[in-house]
Amino acid sequence: MIDLRDVRFEYTQGGFSLCVPELRISAGTKAAAIGPSGSGKTTLLNVISGIACPDGGRVNTASVRVDSLSLAARRSFRIKTIGFVFQDFLLLDYLDVLENILYPYRLHHDLVLDADARARAQRLAADLGIDRLLRRSPDELSQGERQRVAIARALVTAPKLVLADEPTGNLDPATKQRTIDLLFDQCDALSMTLLMVTHDHGLLDRFDQVVDVSAFGGSEP
Amino acid sequence: MKDSLYLAWRYLVHHRSKTLLLVLSLSIFLGLPLVMRAMSAVIQQSLMARAQSTPLLLGKSGSSLDLVVEALYFQPKGIEALTAADANEIDETGLAQAIPMRTGLMARQFPVVGTSLDYFSFRALKTADGRALATLGECVLGAEVATTLGLKPGDSLLTSPSALFDLAGVYPLRLHVVGTLEPSYGPDDRVVFVDVKTAWVAEGLGHGHQDLSTASGDVLLKRTDGTATANAKLVQYNEITDDNAESFHFHGDPAGYPVSAVIVIPSDDKAGVLLRGRFVNDSARQLLRPAQVVEGLNQQIFRFERVLQIIVWTVGLATALMFVLVMVLSWRLRAEELRTMARLGCGRWKAVQIMGAEVFLMVGTSVALAAFFGFVITHYGETWLQNLVLRGS
Repeated sequence: MIDLRDVRFEYTQGGFSLCVPELRISAGTKAAAIGPSGSGKTTLLNVISGIACPDGGRVNTASVRVDSLSLAARRSFRIKTIGFVFQDFLLLDYLDVLENILYPYRLHHDLVLDADARARAQRLAADLGIDRLLRRSPDELSQGERQRVAIARALVTAPKLVLADEPTGNLDPATKQRTIDLLFDQCDALSMTLLMVTHDHGLLDRFDQVVDVSAFGGSEP
Repeated sequence: MKDSLYLAWRYLVHHRSKTLLLVLSLSIFLGLPLVMRAMSAVIQQSLMARAQSTPLLLGKSGSSLDLVVEALYFQPKGIEALTAADANEIDETGLAQAIPMRTGLMARQFPVVGTSLDYFSFRALKTADGRALATLGECVLGAEVATTLGLKPGDSLLTSPSALFDLAGVYPLRLHVVGTLEPSYGPDDRVVFVDVKTAWVAEGLGHGHQDLSTASGDVLLKRTDGTATANAKLVQYNEITDDNAESFHFHGDPAGYPVSAVIVIPSDDKAGVLLRGRFVNDSARQLLRPAQVVEGLNQQIFRFERVLQIIVWTVGLATALMFVLVMVLSWRLRAEELRTMARLGCGRWKAVQIMGAEVFLMVGTSVALAAFFGFVITHYGETWLQNLVLRGS
């Protein structure tokens, strides 16, 4: 699913570089990316998803050479292939829960918002226990409920790969476990690959693979 | 595009206060020039139409604009009066028909105009209910007067006293409503029409009182051959009825009674030219073509409109800059949202579309609002606009 070879990345303003000689994550794997703050975990997700373009090497994600795609093609690839879960949820306050879940369909013409998509959103909401909140505003939800909405938004397009950037960072321990359970259950049910950035080493034994990003020479001034 | 419009719509609805403020500001900016232009056109057309339908107007020398405004549009300007003899003089030439106009009286905030029956046929005013004027003390109401005051044939209304605290002055006259007119969508709708003689009675130039030949001794101060002098006990009538109509009379020569203006309808163009020639050297009176006077007023309006346009465009520019500033600041505040869109895979063009859709919806709504108000004002505010201009002229 993810195959990186000799990847080098440096921000244009300098001061940070990432070198990945080799990284392979098979399809259906649940992998954790760990490392101290500033080691390049988020940068690694950006390179894998095509948000950032490497200075050298090969980035193969879901059998696509992401590093050779144009900007527009990378965006199209991303919205169809990858689901994102962010630490701060990044839900839109002017849309209700159902509209937030279906938000990716509003952003690119490659995704068609049809009855199937709506049915999938309803099913995901039910599976994640937020189906009674569909007409609520995100402002009216708890942190845990918001994160479940964010997970539903990441999964609604049935992506092959889910990239989660510290999705449990803002949650209390009980909600954290429940969120991880839900995310893993959905990835299993939909046969998705998961790469999740986490600082919580207590969760690592639940993952199939752990990637230590600090080994890739990430450095910040 | 549908999705971009949907997201933009949801954002604008969620931030409805900000949206409303911006839309209203833009509507005013866009609407003002539209409304001004429409107003100007409507006023000029309606004023000119009435002026052009009045061939000539005779009045005392002085402000020609005041004469036209008071005689044609019934806005009180305090013009000096001619006499009934001046109207007769026109008739006697055989060159034109004269319609006397007596203005200056009011009845419950509406002008009372004394004229002859010829005025109704000249202006093609049709009776909606009741009948035309027939005897002294009757009135016919313009459509708006009837609607506003809720009066119909059989009702009555009092003229307003000209000086409230003048105890020796003229008392109100009770007018009998005998008819109401169909709407003419002009100044005639806001007028109480009476016969010119009724107007003179209302002004105190004619009056009716108890018959002195049969009056008792305590009313009479002195009786000589053909003359009787009464004291204040003599009953004066403030209403003309079938019983007392006979007692109403005028003292002095009616030819000297006041007429505010005379509408002059020449029998043909040549007669009009001849008549105008007769008044060229008349220093006390003027015979003018109302269309010419209104043309001058329209030119003043046009000059004023141009100055106003410069002010409006300056304010508009400031509004447009404020709108741009608000939108730029809004998008800056939404930088995180734009970044999230990009990370999820939203194309650049799509992001521009979403932001553009917000501007489109707000500007579109503002244009629609401005057009709506422009339409309402030009189609239903003609009378109001006309009054606004004439009161200030």
